[in-house]
Amino acid sequence: MIEIRDLVFEYPGHRALAGIRLEIVRRSITALVGPNGAGKTTLLRCMAALETPYAGSVTIDGLDTRSAPRAIHARLGYLPDFFGLYDALPVRRCLHYAARAHGIAPGAAAGAAEAAAAKVGLSDRLNQSAGALSRGLRQRLAIAQTIVHQPKVLLLDEPAAGLDPQARRDLSNLLLSLRDSGMTLVVSSHILAELEDYSDRMVIVDHGRIAGGQSIALKTGARLRLRLAVPREDLKDFLAGQGAEILECAPDHALVKIAADPPARARLLAALVGAGFAVADFTEDARALEDVYFAQTGGGA
Amino acid sequence: MNPELQRNLWLEASPFRLILIAGLLLLAFAATSVAPLGFATTSRTALALYWFFAVLWGTRSAGLSVVGEIRERTWDGQKLSSIGPWEMVWGKLFGATAANWFGALLCLPFILIPAVGAMGLGPALRYGLILLTLGVFAQAVALLSSLVLIRRNTGNWRLDTFLCQVAGIGAAFSYYSLWSSVSAFERSGTSSLEWWGHSFNLGSFHLVSLLLFLAWALVGCWRAMRTELRFANGPYVWLAYLLYSAVYSAGFESWIGQRWSLPQTLDPAVAKLAYAGATLLAAAYGMAFLEPKDPVRLRWLGEQVRGGRAYQAFLAMDCWMLSYVATLLVGFLLAALWMSGGGSLMVLAVLGFMTRDIAIFVLMQGQAGGKGDFAALGLLGALYLLVPTMLSGLNLRGLEFLVLPTGLFSVIAAWSEGAICAYLALKRIAR
Repeated sequence: MIEIRDLVFEYPGHRALAGIRLEIVRRSITALVGPNGAGKTTLLRCMAALETPYAGSVTIDGLDTRSAPRAIHARLGYLPDFFGLYDALPVRRCLHYAARAHGIAPGAAAGAAEAAAAKVGLSDRLNQSAGALSRGLRQRLAIAQTIVHQPKVLLLDEPAAGLDPQARRDLSNLLLSLRDSGMTLVVSSHILAELEDYSDRMVIVDHGRIAGGQSIALKTGARLRLRLAVPREDLKDFLAGQGAEILECAPDHALVKIAADPPARARLLAALVGAGFAVADFTEDARALEDVYFAQTGGGA
Repeated sequence: MNPELQRNLWLEASPFRLILIAGLLLLAFAATSVAPLGFATTSRTALALYWFFAVLWGTRSAGLSVVGEIRERTWDGQKLSSIGPWEMVWGKLFGATAANWFGALLCLPFILIPAVGAMGLGPALRYGLILLTLGVFAQAVALLSSLVLIRRNTGNWRLDTFLCQVAGIGAAFSYYSLWSSVSAFERSGTSSLEWWGHSFNLGSFHLVSLLLFLAWALVGCWRAMRTELRFANGPYVWLAYLLYSAVYSAGFESWIGQRWSLPQTLDPAVAKLAYAGATLLAAAYGMAFLEPKDPVRLRWLGEQVRGGRAYQAFLAMDCWMLSYVATLLVGFLLAALWMSGGGSLMVLAVLGFMTRDIAIFVLMQGQAGGKGDFAALGLLGALYLLVPTMLSGLNLRGLEFLVLPTGLFSVIAAWSEGAICAYLALKRIAR
């Protein structure tokens, strides 16, 4: 869906992107992570055909950003990290304008606006002015404006910044539903733990390059941390017998990798309980993405 | 309806605002009609208020229609929309100024009804047309300025809006003063003007000129908006504008010569070429100051040329580059034709100094970014004003050839300085 070839972008005196090569498949969510100033926003803006690269190319849905920027604009939605809204307009008019501005016919614009509002849970706020919305609701309205024309590609730059935990969870669910509806999403974020909830692949951008040279598949397996109330010496052998990959093990705790699907997790838990292990804790290890990230960037404690 | 126009109408022309404007205007007109205060008759008050709504405030609204989008961080969203450049231009030009036009149009009857009584229906209607065109022209210039200024990415929206207003008001005043001068000419017995050897009615010529410059301002807005919306522009529209302005100014050669009794020592063709060259020179300096001279983009252009893609580089040339090349071509032709009286030496020196000055603009932007143009302007001010004054004060007028186009030595000095500055600018770009 998105193909980036040897992309170079320069600001005066500074090379922001230094030969990025990347492919993003249709109907996926790709997380773009990296330290501040790594080039994530520039990469997103090049993908959105808002910036002209110095060299290399970005192709979206078969169209080159340099030769067909307007056709690409019609196919994508882009939410910048610092976005603005027309604060004096009610939500309904903001969305109506966004729909009309994206080429939706006058007769269909009201319906498109209401559908977008429903997708982000703003149906009950249609008559409220955008300036009166909370930070989380503003974020939802901004996303609704970017998806009102049902783009094929959605680029989001730090969409979770400043959101409370509930709003972040809602955002994760929204992104997953958009992917399931057929969109291809690229999301830049600093919050690694939450990216794991919805991302299929991770791209680490560092000093204008992709760390490790390629994107990293996520969710090929889940890392589970389990802790026992009563230590047992046979824990390691038991886990090995269940087909789990043991990353770390002691009589009272273990870190294992198993298939990502929930039934696999349920089966392992049931087997542990059935074998008389006093399971006190059985959770997904939130540090998984961080480990990968720091392994690639060479950082971390 | 154009979505950009509709959105602007939602924001700018709320019923409350329109009722407020109408109420205040009616109060002002009622007050001046029942108790005129000396100069402040109803028609004069209406004219002043028209200027306020259409020009003073209208240029601010037009400038803010783009600068405000940057300030509110909504410009990226607009650039990604499906709205075309022309739709975007007129949606902003007439939408963002909707409240201004509401006020201005309410003033118009109070200006024109007394004018019909004083000068007759035809001239009054022409006056009305001049006022309307003047308002649109001022706002179009402000909008065009805003589209040029945002490319410079100064980050100072207040200064940008102010500069747009100054440009729009300046354009309006220039034309209004020209139009006002028509009556002065008529009083002195001149009611016609000669342009390219043909006689034209002064008032009609002025009105047509204004309409044509308004058309060019709108074309400029459309072209600048295309750039913002990521359309490729190509050089041809700007080249057409350069040709138009050169031909327009050259046409006044005989009339200006007669009006101000200039010595007829020059061949008319050479004089016409000199007028055209001066116009192109002004365009080269103006665009060199206004347009961004991004070193990365200049390096990219250089790579296209080195890679044998000269036509692609030509298509991507900025207006200041095209103006510079056009000035050089016309200048060399003028120098070849104007051999008598040292004219050709002066022209060659001017071309050398222009090369130096444009290289200074490029160099300064490479050094100081967005503020570089003002630094370059300061440096040029010092070179053309302070240095000659100092040389004169120190009785060293013989060295003026270093900074002013005076003779053979100034040709050598100008091109040497031009070569040094161009070398430094190229070195800065290549970094």
